Amino acid sequence: MSSVSEYYKIVEEVFEKYKDKEFLFVGRHSQRWDSVEKIKGKALYTADFARLYSKLVYVHSVRTKYAHALVKSIDTSEASKYPGVLKVITAKDIPGINDVGYVIPDQPLIADRKVRYVGDIVALVVAEDPLVAREAEELISVEYEPLPVITNPLDVVDLMTLKEKPHVLIHDERGSDILVHYKIRRGDIQKAMREADVKVEGVYKTPFQEHAYMEPEASIAIPEPDGSITVITSTQCPFDVRRAVAKVLGLTLNKVRIVVPAVGGGFGGKEDVANETAAKAALAAVLTDRPALAVHTREESIIGHSKRHPAIAWYRHAAKRDGTLLAVEANVVMDGGAYASLGPFVPWRATVHATGPYKVQSARVDVVRVYTNNVYAGAFRGFGNPQVIFAVERQIDLLAEELGMDPVELRLKNILRVGDETVHGQKLTEEHGVGLEEAVMKAVEASRWFELRREYAEIKGPVRKGIGIALFYHGNSIGVEGADYSSVTLIINRDGSISIRTGLTEFGQGAVWGLALIAAEILGVPPSYFKIENTDTSATPDAGPTVASRTTVMGGAATVVAAYKLRRRLNEVASHILGCDPDEVVIRAPEVYCSSDPSRKTKWVDVIEQSFWLGVPLQEFGYYRAPRASWDEETGQGAPYITYTFGAIVADVEVDIETGLVKVNKIYTAYDIGKVINRIGAELNAEGGAIQALGYALMEELIHDKDGRVSNPNLSTYYIPTIKDTPEIIPIWVEAKYRKGPLGAKGFGEPSFNAVAAAIANAVAHALRVNVTELPITPERVYMMLKSKQRY
Amino acid sequence: MSKVGVSHASWDTYRDIEISFKVNGKEVKVKVKPYERLIDVLRNKLGLVSVKGGCGRGECGACVVIMNGKLIPTCLTLAVRADGSEVLTLEGIAPEGKLHAIQKALLDTYAMQCGFCFPGVIMTSKYLLDKNPNPSEDEIKEVLDGNLCRCGSYLRFVKAVKLASKYINEGKIFFDESEVMR
Amino acid sequence: MFRFDVYIPRDLRDALEALRIYGEEMLPIGGGTDLLVLYRQGLVKFKTLLDLWPLRSNLSYVKLEGGLVRLGALTTVEELESSELLKDKRFAGLKDACRTFATTFIRSLATVGGNVGVAHPLSDIAITLLTYDASVRLRSLDGERVIPLKNFYLDKRKTVKKPEELITEVFFSEPPNNASSVFAKLDRRVGHGMGYVAVGVYAELDNRLVKEVRIAFDSIGRPFPERALRTEDSLRGKELSEDNINRAIYEVLPKEMSRINDYRASAEYRIYLSQVLLKRALLEVGRRIGGE
Repeated sequence: MSSVSEYYKIVEEVFEKYKDKEFLFVGRHSQRWDSVEKIKGKALYTADFARLYSKLVYVHSVRTKYAHALVKSIDTSEASKYPGVLKVITAKDIPGINDVGYVIPDQPLIADRKVRYVGDIVALVVAEDPLVAREAEELISVEYEPLPVITNPLDVVDLMTLKEKPHVLIHDERGSDILVHYKIRRGDIQKAMREADVKVEGVYKTPFQEHAYMEPEASIAIPEPDGSITVITSTQCPFDVRRAVAKVLGLTLNKVRIVVPAVGGGFGGKEDVANETAAKAALAAVLTDRPALAVHTREESIIGHSKRHPAIAWYRHAAKRDGTLLAVEANVVMDGGAYASLGPFVPWRATVHATGPYKVQSARVDVVRVYTNNVYAGAFRGFGNPQVIFAVERQIDLLAEELGMDPVELRLKNILRVGDETVHGQKLTEEHGVGLEEAVMKAVEASRWFELRREYAEIKGPVRKGIGIALFYHGNSIGVEGADYSSVTLIINRDGSISIRTGLTEFGQGAVWGLALIAAEILGVPPSYFKIENTDTSATPDAGPTVASRTTVMGGAATVVAAYKLRRRLNEVASHILGCDPDEVVIRAPEVYCSSDPSRKTKWVDVIEQSFWLGVPLQEFGYYRAPRASWDEETGQGAPYITYTFGAIVADVEVDIETGLVKVNKIYTAYDIGKVINRIGAELNAEGGAIQALGYALMEELIHDKDGRVSNPNLSTYYIPTIKDTPEIIPIWVEAKYRKGPLGAKGFGEPSFNAVAAAIANAVAHALRVNVTELPITPERVYMMLKSKQRY
Repeated sequence: MSKVGVSHASWDTYRDIEISFKVNGKEVKVKVKPYERLIDVLRNKLGLVSVKGGCGRGECGACVVIMNGKLIPTCLTLAVRADGSEVLTLEGIAPEGKLHAIQKALLDTYAMQCGFCFPGVIMTSKYLLDKNPNPSEDEIKEVLDGNLCRCGSYLRFVKAVKLASKYINEGKIFFDESEVMR
Repeated sequence: MFRFDVYIPRDLRDALEALRIYGEEMLPIGGGTDLLVLYRQGLVKFKTLLDLWPLRSNLSYVKLEGGLVRLGALTTVEELESSELLKDKRFAGLKDACRTFATTFIRSLATVGGNVGVAHPLSDIAITLLTYDASVRLRSLDGERVIPLKNFYLDKRKTVKKPEELITEVFFSEPPNNASSVFAKLDRRVGHGMGYVAVGVYAELDNRLVKEVRIAFDSIGRPFPERALRTEDSLRGKELSEDNINRAIYEVLPKEMSRINDYRASAEYRIYLSQVLLKRALLEVGRRIGGE
């Protein structure tokens, strides 16, 4: 038996075994392991460790004055002499390789030759007091040769031809500022367009969105006696941070230890920026031989870490008179800002999902991602999907209008169901779990769609109401982006308590708690017995990055494998104690008994103690690697993801047509996430994702001026929703189980964001009878739309 | 050449000011710099790390504490201003081993996500409940409007403050910590 | 320099002496909600801060005496909001301004004097006080000056106040019983915001006749709060009817208002929104005076 097939077999076997069972812990409400320490304010986040180090030094980043310039020279001599300054670090002080790029090596830690955006760092000042460091910054002189600043991606590439335009290259070393170009080619698009009864087309724009996690980035680096370094940091991807720090310091991986304590939010934004903060702190610690803290101010956080990619998307949809979708054509330009970050992957996810969760017979999709001198774009909950969902779902509504059909009816005519092929030619089967139709029906019913759609259309007066729907699908985990594996170690301690170790990181939404619930279910031990260890590259196994909603589906599968193996061993031990068949052993910790005769019983702790003396291992390592995905670079055909999460969102809004202010009253979120494992986590994601997406729909946009400077780099000018903006959110769950997933689960972190903004946009369009083509829908945009009243 | 890891002498030229104030019921005396912010003194010198730095500009609510009965952002408060005052942080809102009604209610409503905004949310809610034990939904939203929560637990905050209000009105202000994990 | 010293004065006289001695190297700090943010951004420089908080024992009050409403400069927005005075409908606009002022924890620090002194469009209390035709009392070692608020501002972040002077009080005449006021602003979110535009309206009505009206905006052209005097004139003595209001906002206001384009909004939208909010405020003030 090859070990590769073993873990697939276990996961499927466990799925079959549990699929009709009543669950004890999975899918039920439970209090996550860290909630009491957090509620008491005792949980330690990275910066909270600073006070433990009396010799701590502060690392202050000196950032460029220009968004695009050559760095001719830098003089730090005065600053170095400033009282209280320990060291001024420039690129030449880096012992290893000066690069912190996440996917490709295009991002220096400290700019040496040129700067490409306003967050670029030209020097680090290390001082005993952060204010001293800021004072010393003023003594550093840098000679720049300014270059033309590009803030509009359409200055780099033409939207319709996708050809690169002549311009001063931002990444001259690459020879082109187009980072990637992905395609889908399916069917005969020309023929389909000729044969279509109706066509709709439009250009859709979405903004830069800031993660605005409440905890700004922070890293503390501690030099160790053996020349290695420990870094406490706020990240989603400690093993990637380790790689970056090792590279910058020129150390082997085993000489770099990354520890992740409580993390105050990530949403994708803490995938790669910790490469930078950890490397800064580590460099300062090594060069001064003292513990060093690098913590970003809110302003630095906003100008200095990745954002959601803005997109400009041209779409053309063609359909038959009866509503059957014939063809989709799309050109999408994504603004990647100054560096690649996750940029090789985000546009790929956008490409895969570029036609929405619909049967599309013919398609031509081209997505490019270009460099500009804006703040760089990377990962953010949704990862390229929300941008194309907005365009597609607006297009579908336009098509419905054109056809005189109800938007729900048109969608139901075209959505993906079991047996259908995706636009990539991937056949969806029972095994994938396809619950889109059920989600639509449930959302429509709960929201009283047909009734309100009519009723709202009749409203006159200054306050109008609208109701809108948007659908999505979302490929699970990372697909062909990379090695899609995960791992978990379960350790049963002598007292029967259980430790979970995984490189998957908890960064707020409590996803890893789902692993405890899965293990609890399989072992028969209540969740209160579990503790999830902080991620630590020297203690927890590498589980791949904590991204792409993969914790439950990938980490959960690894947990199934580990828990299942442990359970089999414990059943053997218990069967010896109880004198019944291993298959008859029931564990309901603290009790263990025989199903055939419940009076034959023992204690969980006694089974553990026995196992210990018998030499039965009480630890188990679970590994899981996703089945291979496939993708043809030229045609976009294949099976890009292992399965898909589906959803239907209905938004109910009102608009003050005099001021243009949009208020969302209700959001109905119907999600097919397969088996719901961590119910509280799912509910919190549904709420939190919807609120973030409401911000994306109505208020959030990071703005660059013509010089590439950020106009709104703080929380009083970059607006995120407050408690007063929060509508009623009605979560609805559909459980179309993915039978290769852990207990049938699919991923949910990102999908909770995906289609909410599109639903709000469609609701505003309904309320005002205007065409919404740009996010966010600010009062001014509403005013402008009403003024020109582009009736569609 | 200066030795690495040792700064040039005498950078610390600003005077120390000794302030004394009551923190979470205890008298403390601490030396502060004139330019120090209260948040830094509470966190670094007194170890009260529940006070979180989210923006440094009074824009997020993560660092608020109750000072002399007022809710204040400690990132915009000079430490010298604490002299002679009474300060309450999250660490001090319940006796050892107990949880305050609002903490219990936030657990009961399963509001916890990243938790970074929670100290501020709890202090703001307590400030509200101290002033108004029966706040309406609108009053709750009005007072919590400044406490940003990016994970989006807002709906649960409203429920939790209402639940805490109910607990308090029933005379249940503190709960045993051991009661809450289920 | 980012480090600084703090001078903690014994009393007002001590504070004024300190200002004279230290000159421009010293800046007074009230609530600090504006100053400490500017400082953090490196936009103001000083060697010493003069901590005004010890003066609150004398300079924090909301009084109605001798026909004057007197607000101590160090009264916080929270104290103003919860004062007895603001329960009176004649001050309803001040109540609006306090209620929508930033956030709970900023209201507990931000002061009336500070809001008036920052000379910035985003100063809601100052906008409302302009509609009460308030005056600013300044003290220095040389004595006292009283400056009408409408003459107080010179430019963005520039006032007639000299460095050695402190704002000690803002005061205005007690409004008659047939008066009330409104303050309104609007931004892109329902939660707290700066306001693309902000407007304050004060009116005295005899039946529906406008005996007096004062209108102030966050800006009508220059970068600080100012009265819309011509728009006021067009309404004074007239009936507060929809027609007259429309004439004022569509025909008069645009002639005296110019607005900026910036990253938050266009000038066109700002003017449009100024019209909408002014209209709503005028209708609302009429309802408030009518006791609705």
